[in-house]
Amino acid sequence: MHEFSLVQGIIDAMQETANQKGGKVLSFEVRVGELSQFDIRLMRELLKELKAGTPLEGAKVSVRPEKSKIRCVSCGKVWGFSDVIRPMSGDEREVVHFFPELMNSYTRCPSCSKSYLEIEEGRSVRIASVSLDV
Amino acid sequence: MSKEVSTSDFREGMIARRLKGVKMILLVLSGKGGVGKSVVSAALAAILAKTGLAIGLLDADIYGPSSALLFGAHARPTEGEDGLSPPIVRGVKIMSVDLYAPGKPVPVTGTGSRDVIREMLALTSWGGLDYLIIDMPPATADIAMLFTSLRKKNLAAFVVTTPDKLSLAVAHRVMELLHSGKVPIAGVLGNMYRSHHVGSSTHDEDPQMLAAEFKAVFLGKLPYDAKVLSAVGKSNIEDLLRTRFGEALQQSVKAHVKL
Repeated sequence: MHEFSLVQGIIDAMQETANQKGGKVLSFEVRVGELSQFDIRLMRELLKELKAGTPLEGAKVSVRPEKSKIRCVSCGKVWGFSDVIRPMSGDEREVVHFFPELMNSYTRCPSCSKSYLEIEEGRSVRIASVSLDV
Repeated sequence: MSKEVSTSDFREGMIARRLKGVKMILLVLSGKGGVGKSVVSAALAAILAKTGLAIGLLDADIYGPSSALLFGAHARPTEGEDGLSPPIVRGVKIMSVDLYAPGKPVPVTGTGSRDVIREMLALTSWGGLDYLIIDMPPATADIAMLFTSLRKKNLAAFVVTTPDKLSLAVAHRVMELLHSGKVPIAGVLGNMYRSHHVGSSTHDEDPQMLAAEFKAVFLGKLPYDAKVLSAVGKSNIEDLLRTRFGEALQQSVKAHVKL
């Protein structure tokens, strides 16, 4: 349920951006990283719910999933979270849900078995673009 | 007219809002491992909590987290709509990666470590606190990131050093960094004093000289105490406070911290 506080953080950031730039938010795009394991439908609903009654109410929102790209620092292989999610327990996946980098404590590179991994894409939730009416 | 604009990391705004209820943030730094920074952080948190103050302890040393171990904390923070509520042990709210990966290595890159620290700050729901004590990471880039994320708060730094030259040299670098980041240095604490350090060499003067150079208060000399090690990991941090180290730190807090 900490999705609620993250979505509120996005809404607040959008309002601050509009205030700083002196315009009105027309649209914004949110990317939901695979490692966050967030439910996209829930994110859409929360964004709709939390922007209601704010200056963002009329803004168009796009919420899109973002596949993960995880690079093994040791051997250079790039792979996705889905490649290793099966061996991880529900408890371990929950850890990754909160702190994606802690995946390194629970999994290894499927190619070289080392656990020094870096997330290139699909980490968590991010604001990909904002369009203002200025 | 429609215009695409850039936006900063939305977690920075979340961090500022999370810390609104925190009156003062105390950064405990040493820059070097093995000088007792984490033990000082944990003991300081316990001492302040005993006076009835609302205290949080954030373990930002993600490569060598030890706050949870020092307090005997095991429970993972509970998740709610407002984020993650940390477990409370002996009146101290504790947040550490060790609660999520107990006893495991955390082999993340530099960028990754800063993301984990930023995430902990953005997600942890501290509520109202008198002091949030941050056991700081040793890496300079992580320290600098924290200054940036916390810059709008009431900050003060405690620098922990032993009276030995290696520790002092690194502590000096850390104090330069604090100075350039305009972070007030509340004090310098000399730790792990052995009998030969006291009165028999110039070493025991050095932490005091370091404090004087940066116009910081010298908070005192804490003795090297082998009993500290045997107290670590007990579920009752009172054992740590009953050591000579713990008693000396309590005296220093009484003398220098307004309670």
